[in-house]
Formats: sequence, structure tokens, C-alpha cells
Amino acid sequence: MLKKLKHLTLATAMLLSTSAMAGPYDPYKGETLVVNFPAHPHYNAVMKILPEFTKETGINVEVDQLPYLKMRERQTLELAQDEGEYDLVAYVVFSKADYVYADQLENLARYFMNPKLADPNYDADDLIDGYVYNIGFAGGNKGYLEGKTGSLFGIPYGSETSVLGYRKDIFDKHGLKVPETYDELLKTACAIPQLEPGMGGLSSRAASGHHASHAFLLHLAPLGGRVFDDNWNPIVNNAQGVQAANALKTIVECGPEGAASFGFGEALGSFLNGDTAMFLDTTVVAGQINDPDKSKVVGKVGWAMHPMGTRRGSQTGGFGIGIPKNAEHKEAAFLLMQWLTSKKADKLVALAGGNPSRFSTHADAEVNAKFPHMATFGEALKYADPDWRPIIPVWGKINADLGTTLSKVLTEGLDVQEALDGVAERTKGVMNEAGYYTWN
Amino acid sequence: MNGQLANRFTPYIFMAPAVLIMGIALLYPLGYMVYGSFREWNPSQNISETEFVGLKNYITLFFDAAFRESLAVTLIFAVTVVAAELFIGVGLALLLDRNIRGMSLLRTLFILPMMIAPVVVGLMWRYMYHPTVGTINRTLKSMGFEGVDWLGQHALASVIVADIWQWTPFIFILALAALQSLPRSALEAARIDGATAWQQIFYIKLPLMMPVLIVTALLRLIDAFKVLEVILVMTQGGPGLSTEILALRISRTATEFRELGVAAAMSNYLLILLLLLTLGMFVITRLQEKRAARLAKMVQEES
Repeated sequence: MLKKLKHLTLATAMLLSTSAMAGPYDPYKGETLVVNFPAHPHYNAVMKILPEFTKETGINVEVDQLPYLKMRERQTLELAQDEGEYDLVAYVVFSKADYVYADQLENLARYFMNPKLADPNYDADDLIDGYVYNIGFAGGNKGYLEGKTGSLFGIPYGSETSVLGYRKDIFDKHGLKVPETYDELLKTACAIPQLEPGMGGLSSRAASGHHASHAFLLHLAPLGGRVFDDNWNPIVNNAQGVQAANALKTIVECGPEGAASFGFGEALGSFLNGDTAMFLDTTVVAGQINDPDKSKVVGKVGWAMHPMGTRRGSQTGGFGIGIPKNAEHKEAAFLLMQWLTSKKADKLVALAGGNPSRFSTHADAEVNAKFPHMATFGEALKYADPDWRPIIPVWGKINADLGTTLSKVLTEGLDVQEALDGVAERTKGVMNEAGYYTWN
Repeated sequence: MNGQLANRFTPYIFMAPAVLIMGIALLYPLGYMVYGSFREWNPSQNISETEFVGLKNYITLFFDAAFRESLAVTLIFAVTVVAAELFIGVGLALLLDRNIRGMSLLRTLFILPMMIAPVVVGLMWRYMYHPTVGTINRTLKSMGFEGVDWLGQHALASVIVADIWQWTPFIFILALAALQSLPRSALEAARIDGATAWQQIFYIKLPLMMPVLIVTALLRLIDAFKVLEVILVMTQGGPGLSTEILALRISRTATEFRELGVAAAMSNYLLILLLLLTLGMFVITRLQEKRAARLAKMVQEES
């Protein structure tokens, strides 16, 4: 009898102790999170690792995956409701300004302060600086950069930077050197059509609107330019701006046929098709280059850092994940967010073909064995420039104007200086109306 | 008395549900748009949080060079496509208005483009215009000509061609129907009087078809002002603003610039323009009806 009682107490004690030592995920077991992700190579990889999360935590995840422009529209509507459908959203970088300004994303401080939720082994310092400040941070310098007044509203996930892809076979055949500076880049880009008739130098996006603007900004940062000075005066029309626009013009002229109307898809397509020798754009494409279904250049592509002008400055962009203010399961959503961006899951998603958010993943031996370009990408990320493009609410309008005007330069022969002067003047009007000169 | 009153109201009671639905489905959104066009409205805001700005959106637009360029593109596009479609459509109808074997099959083939979804049409033409792998340039090159950068250098013309390809059948089929319902007696009389084929077309067929043609043209014109998908897929409005028609600019203003108020004001400008066209159509049909009635009366009086 006594023995039996002893057993019982032991059992009770064990039960008590296990409940006291319950895992961080237990209170949320059985909850179902509804998340909104874009249709994007990185998030396709995420879909493969989500079952792992459910297995580990008992939290179910339901994913609403939408094309990314559609996703943004949907989120704009969803986030304005009193009660939202989504517990976690992946937002495209320029939505940061809109969502944070409209007070629609949770400040993450509350969650990282909560000992029951925050994982002490998370190692936030390992997250890539440029990505964090570009995508997750708001309220710092200029309102969108790192700074003492800022705080974190999201974590970069599915972010990307720019690297130079080049055809090793073509470069070897003609003894070309992989360009390290902008001068070399432009010279090589224009030499290739002569060395390999029918082949373009570098394929770039150039189509009217967002594409042309993106391509221009890609060159503006390394060449030492900026869109605004510290007082929000547009300086896109200064010498560096003109140089960047001329670089874009040269690249398009020495590019593949019809390059002036290329969007991202066409630019990538022509590189995958073997019509150009170089590609300078996002790291997201790395997975497709070695996919024989999509690419004719499998195994022929080498990667190098975005060439340098007066400084190094590769782009930062892509997506981050954040918790909407009107979410129903915020704490569980934070746990998912933390899990997805943890060292372990970051490596899992990298191995599944995604874009890692951590320095350690880029240096990881296993990841590099599978994707040898990862180390170069990690190196490029040290120079990722969070200020290559301003993330302010009126940017959409300025971006469109910049893009259509540059397109006129490329297709209608508009003078570069005149075109950029026009952009600067109109931008000044937009900024004035938005109240950026209130303190001047 | 009571019964009489009930009788008088019966039709209105029967109509009430339809009127109600019309009110909700048509007038409410329209009113919402007009209301929104007077406000500074960001899509992240509820309309109640927005600020009233009076006519500011309309005035800004009026002085906005990009909007005016877009309006000009829309006008050029609409007038060119409708003129070309009328010319080709009516021409085809005149050619095919005869008893050919397999006519019904031919007619079905001719109207096929109209049945294809606009997005598909856009994609198809975009690939056909592709500078290197497109059918058009490949054909040109195989014949020894230089390739042309269709969507880069001649974007508006290329888009116009695609629209003509898709919508000529609409005019063709209506013109053919009009032709086949023409009074044979008038044509026979003309033939007996020795009118040549051209004279028959210019003096008999075309004037008699005119009422149908005018309505068709106006319908097409209204449609052409609102075209979006084909251009969106083919050029996204580029290069520059050269193919940015109003519908596309409205959609970009709402989604890219996030200015719903301005987008609403732009839609209202478009609405006013279309309203004027529709009014024009009304007036023309009314005038024609009057003329027809007068002619009929004259004929009656003579006989």
C-alpha cells in the first residue's frame, strides 16, 4: 500500500514537473495560424519546411499564397479591417513604409522582451544587417533606416541582394576578366557583342516604370549617388545620377536585342536562354540557373560581387515577415516567425532553395556544398546597402515617374540631364506636398 | 377606388426589386467613387478617416502633364482603332456578303479573335512581337530584312494592331448582319439602272447601313476608351508613357501611387467623357428615328 502511494506521488511529482517544464510551444498546440505569403521561389522553399514546424510545435499553419502584387492589394484591404484574417504576413519591402505608418504592424519589442516567447539562442546579431535595416526597421534615420529612434517591425525573410552572374565559358574563351569596377563592367558589356556576334553583353531590366527605375538605382548607389540628400532635396540629377543613367543606357545599347522593353522576366529569360553573357540583378535567380527545365546555361554560370564604382553598394530588397496589428494569434505567429528565421530553419530553407537571412547560413559548409555560390552571396551581403532606394510612402509615385522618364531616355532619345532634371523637379513637388519641407 | 390605386401601383411594386438592386449595384459604387474623388485617400485608410480636399484632385490632374499625355494616348488609340476597324470590318463584310460555299464556317473563323480572353491576346501578341524569338521578326529576318523592335520603338502602333486584330470581327459581324437585311429591292433597282459595284456600295449600301454603323462605332469607341488588359500585358504602358491609356493610369494611381482619391477623380473624367459619347449616340439615334418617321410619313402621304 505504502509502496503504491509512493509510486503515485512520484508519478504526480513527475507530472507536475513536466508541466512546469512545458515547452514554449505547448500553450499554443493545436492553434491554426493563417499566413499570407507571395508566390516566389523563396516562399516555395518555405512551403517545403513548414511541415517541420508543425511537427515540432503542434501549431498548424495554413498558407494563402498569392502573386506578389495581388498579395499587396489583399494585405492593404485585410490590414485596414478591425479583425484581420492573417496572423503573419510576408510584405514586400516598400510596403514597410505604408504599413508601419498606418500603424498596422506589431512592434516586435513586446515579443522579444517576453521570456516565454523569445528564444535565448536566437542570435539576432547573426541576421544580415542590411536586410534588417532595409526591411524590418522603421523610425530610425530618415524614418526608414538604422538609427537610435528606430525599432523593429518585421524580420527579413526571402530577402535578396544584387550579384553579377557571368558565363564562365564565354569569359574563358575570350580571356575576359570578371569585371570588378563599373568601368570594366561597361567595357566588357560592350566588348561581348563584338566577340560573340548575336550575344548581348549584360541583360538588364529596362521596361517603362518600376523596371527601368530599379535598374537605374542598381547603378546609382555604387556610383556614389543617392535619390535625396539629407534634407530630402532630390539630387538624382547630379553628376552621379547622370553617370548611372548613362551606364544603364550603355548596358541596354550593348545588351540583347529588344533590351529596352525588357522586364525582369525577359531579362532573366535572355540570360537563361544564353543570349547574354552577364546578368546583374537579384540573388533570387540562382536556383533557376541550374534548373535544366528552365535554363540552357546549367553549370556555365559563375558569380561575382556587384562591381564597384566609387563604393560598394549592392541592392537590398525582397520580403520580410511581420505580425499584423489585427491578427488573432499574435503570440503563436511570433513563434512561427522566430522559428522560420532561426539558425536551424534558415539553413533548412536555404537547403530547400530559399534565400537565407543569416550570415552563418551563407558560411555554412553543408549549404555551400549544395550551392557553391552561397559564399560569394554572403560576401556581397556585407556591402548590402539599405539606403539604395528610399522607402517612404510617396516613393511609389516618384519611382513610377523615374521609371517612365528613364524609359523615354532609352527609347525616345531624351537627353539624360534634361530627363533627370525633370524628375528632380517633379519629385520636389511631390515631396513638398507630402510635407517633407515643413521644417525648411 | 382602393382597387384602382392598387392597380396603379402594381407595376411599380413589381419593378421595385429591380430598382433596388440597380440602386445598390450601380448607384452606390458610383456615388462612392464620386464621393471619394473629393478626398485625399490612401488605401490603408478607411474612407471615414480621409480628409476632404474639395476639387483639388481634379485640378491637380488637369495640370498634370502625365495625365494629359495619357489622355492624348487614349484619344489617339481609340480614334485610330475604331477608324481602322470600321474600314476593315465594313470592307470585309462587303466582300463576304455573297453566297460562298462554307460561308458559315468562314464567318465563325472570322469572329474567333473576339472570343479570346484579352489577357491571352496580349500574351500572344507580346510573343509574336518579341525581338528575337517572335514570329514576326523571325519571318522578317528569314526574308532578309532587319528585325524591328516592335514594342520598344513602335509600341503604340503595335498595340493598335493587336486591338484591330481582336475587334475588327465585332464590326464585321454587325456590318454583315446590316448588309444582309438591306432591302433587296433598292439594290435591284440600282442594278437595273446600271449602277456599278462601287456606285452600289457608295450610294446604296453604305447610306442604308449607316444607322447600324454609327451605333457600332460608338459602342467600339466606348470600349476602346476602357481597354486595359491587352496593353497591360503587352507593354505595361511603356516605353515612357507612350501606351499608358487612361484605364492603366487609373489602376497604377490606385495601386502604385496609392492615391485612391486621384484615381477616383480620373475615373470621373473618363466617365464624363464616355457619358458625352453615349449622349452623342442617343442624339444621333433620336435624330435618325425622327428622320425615318418623317420619311415614312412622306411616303404614306405620297401614296
